[in-house]
This record gives sequence, C-alpha cells and structure tokens, in this order.
Amino acid sequence: MTRRPRRSLALLTLALGAAAAGLVRGEIYQAPDAFVAEVFGSRPAPKVLWLTQDLQAQAAAILGHSPAQVRQRYWSDSRKSVWILEEIGKEELITAGFVVVDGRIDHVRVLVYRESRGQEVRTPSFLKQFKDAKLAPGDRLDREIDGIAGATLSVAAMERMARLALFFDRTSRK
Amino acid sequence: MSPRLLLLRLLRRWHARIGFAALLFFLILAVTGLALNHGQSLGLDGRFVHAEWLARWYGIKSEPPRRVFRSGHHVLTAANGRWLLDGKISGEKLPQAVGLVELADVFVVASDTALHVYRENGELIEKVGPGALPGAPVRAIGSNARRIVLRTASGVFASADALSWRPASERSVRWSVPAELSISEQQAYEEALAPGISVEQLLLDLHSGRFAGRYGPLAVDLLALLLVTLSLTGAWLFLVPRMHRGRH
Repeated sequence: MTRRPRRSLALLTLALGAAAAGLVRGEIYQAPDAFVAEVFGSRPAPKVLWLTQDLQAQAAAILGHSPAQVRQRYWSDSRKSVWILEEIGKEELITAGFVVVDGRIDHVRVLVYRESRGQEVRTPSFLKQFKDAKLAPGDRLDREIDGIAGATLSVAAMERMARLALFFDRTSRK
Repeated sequence: MSPRLLLLRLLRRWHARIGFAALLFFLILAVTGLALNHGQSLGLDGRFVHAEWLARWYGIKSEPPRRVFRSGHHVLTAANGRWLLDGKISGEKLPQAVGLVELADVFVVASDTALHVYRENGELIEKVGPGALPGAPVRAIGSNARRIVLRTASGVFASADALSWRPASERSVRWSVPAELSISEQQAYEEALAPGISVEQLLLDLHSGRFAGRYGPLAVDLLALLLVTLSLTGAWLFLVPRMHRGRH
C-alpha cells in the first residue's frame, strides 16, 4: 500500500521546511548593535566573559540547561553593563538586551522575537517590571514577575535572561 | 432470567470487550497526554526524531547533502537545516554554511548571517550574530596569517578573535570552498542529516490522531465516544446492583 502525505501534515512540513531553511528570521525590533549604541551613545569595543566550568554550572542552574556558548560578549563602563542574551521561549530564540547599572536592571528591551505567539513580552508594561530588579539569594530576582496569559514560556525565558544578565554583571565586576 | 439481569450481563460483556479492544489506544492517549502535560520540563520541543520514513510520512522532502567543507582537521557537511561537524550533529534549524576555516586553536563555521566559533574539541565558544559582524550577508570565509577573513556585502574584513574587525585585502587569503560529495558519501551522510520532527509535535499528532492523516481525528473522536460508553456502562454496572440491593 502506498501512503501519501496527508494535507494536515503537509502544512506542518511547510513550516518546518521554512524554519529549517532559515527563512523564519523573526521580528527584529532593534538591531543589537543599535541597542548598544543607544545605551552608550557610541559603539564601544566589546569585552568578553569566559565561562569557566564553575560559571557554566552556575549559569546552567539559572537557565535550567547548559549555556549555549562559553564566551559571552558584553559592553560596559564603570557603572553600567549591557548584555545581549538569547533564550528559547517555546521553540525559537528570543533576543533581548539588558542594561545593568550598579547591580540592578536599568532597562530591558526585546530586540528580536521569533516565536509565533507571546510578543506581549516586548510591551513596556511588561518590561517595566524588571526595572531596578537585583539578584536575591539563590540567584533569583528580588521580585515576582507577573505572567502574561498565552506567553508563559516567553515570560519565563525573559526572567531567566534577566537573572543571567545580573549574574554575569556581578561576575564581570569581580 | 430477568430482563434486568440480562441487560447487566450484556453490559458487563460489552464493557469488557470495548475496554479490551481500545486498551492500546487508551494507553497511547494517556501516555501522550501525560508527556504533553509536562512537555516543557521534559524538553520535548527541543528534542527531534530523525528518520527518513517519518520525514516521508510528514511529507518533508529530504534534501541530500551535496557539498562538504574541509579545513585541516575538520569536516562540515550540511542538509535539512542540520550540520554534521566532524561526524557529530551540531544542532537543528541551522542556516546553510558558506565556509569553514581553522586557526591555531579554534575553527569557525560561517553562514550568511552568523559565525560559529568552536574550540578544537567541538565546543561552541560563541555564535557571532549579525549585529557583531562587520557586514552581512557573509558571502565567504577564509583565513590569512592566523586571522579570520570575511567577504561580506560591505567589503572584506579580518579579525584575529572574531571580536573586532578591520577592513582587509583579499590578497593571500585562502578562501574556504566546498567540494562536491561523491554519491557514496552522500548516502553515508544522508541518514545522519535526515530532517527531524520535534517530539512534542509527534506526540501532539499521535494524541489528536492527526498522525494518521485526515481520518485520524475521526478515529480519536470514536475513541472518545467509546470512553464515554465505558464510563456510562461502568457507572451502570456499579450503581444499579447497589440500588437494587438497597430496595430489598
């Protein structure tokens, strides 16, 4: 018996094929380099934080999985640091920029959003919850971040990235 | 024998028959439902099943690998959004590679929008995205005197660490160029680079019946009706004898 592809699965195929071909690039709200330039008023040279085994383990505890890379670039001056981080919401990466000043989050912006749902995490009303957040014991945020119906996983990803940005900032200043 | 007793016997028999006949399907529904309910913690959306037959069943056209990049100790071939780097799958949903270069202790794979910098052991050091590249799209990657050289839409740039870039000349650059794979090599790599279906998607399709095509959801509807029937007959078989005993 010859089995023919089913129509419902063919739709999925198209989506998977497009994603595999790299056609799903997501919504770019601001280019990462433009975000850095906006924060510093210029484009400073990047610095790098090498994730040693110990740092990788601590980052993994925050993320719930191993960090994707062992060299994290960032931009900083005496008080302020900028971290461009990526984390998967449900299926696709969310790229967000975090500005940390004196160990507290100054502001956050979603730079690229690739998921099909959950774009509400880029709204100022959601992002302002991170303002002045700092790390509490256990590398958790010192506050609860209110969720968004239909964007639970994206909200969780944003919270993980916020914790990681604060952790990286603290580590980079040691 | 009284009609009530006959009905009870009939119901008991059919309750058992329906339950046994649908056992396998109920197990599938229960297991897939349980797994989907904990999909995030199980990381189901990040796991993929790669099999030629499954890709065919989903109607995904599998593209065989045709080209290979070789550089010193490293070999890269790609197809269906997957990279086979030194014999190991490097990830999912990756863009088409445009080249591979090897420096002293790192090697770099370029796609048109990013560089993937690896340690000699294959550990990813950093994915350098479009914002950190001197230009995009990247059209070619090469090396020159321990520097990575990129040919982009904005010109040619070189860097020793993939952090800072300077305009460079194309002189004495060894550009990474692909080689054609032989038919036997294509066949050898094809299975490893088969397109994948996420485990979550597979479980969803099994749970809803869509995996079986157009009539699958109808079969699941029928199973739902059977489950309703089992519940009702079960309740009947449980309650009626007790109610009857209560009257005597």
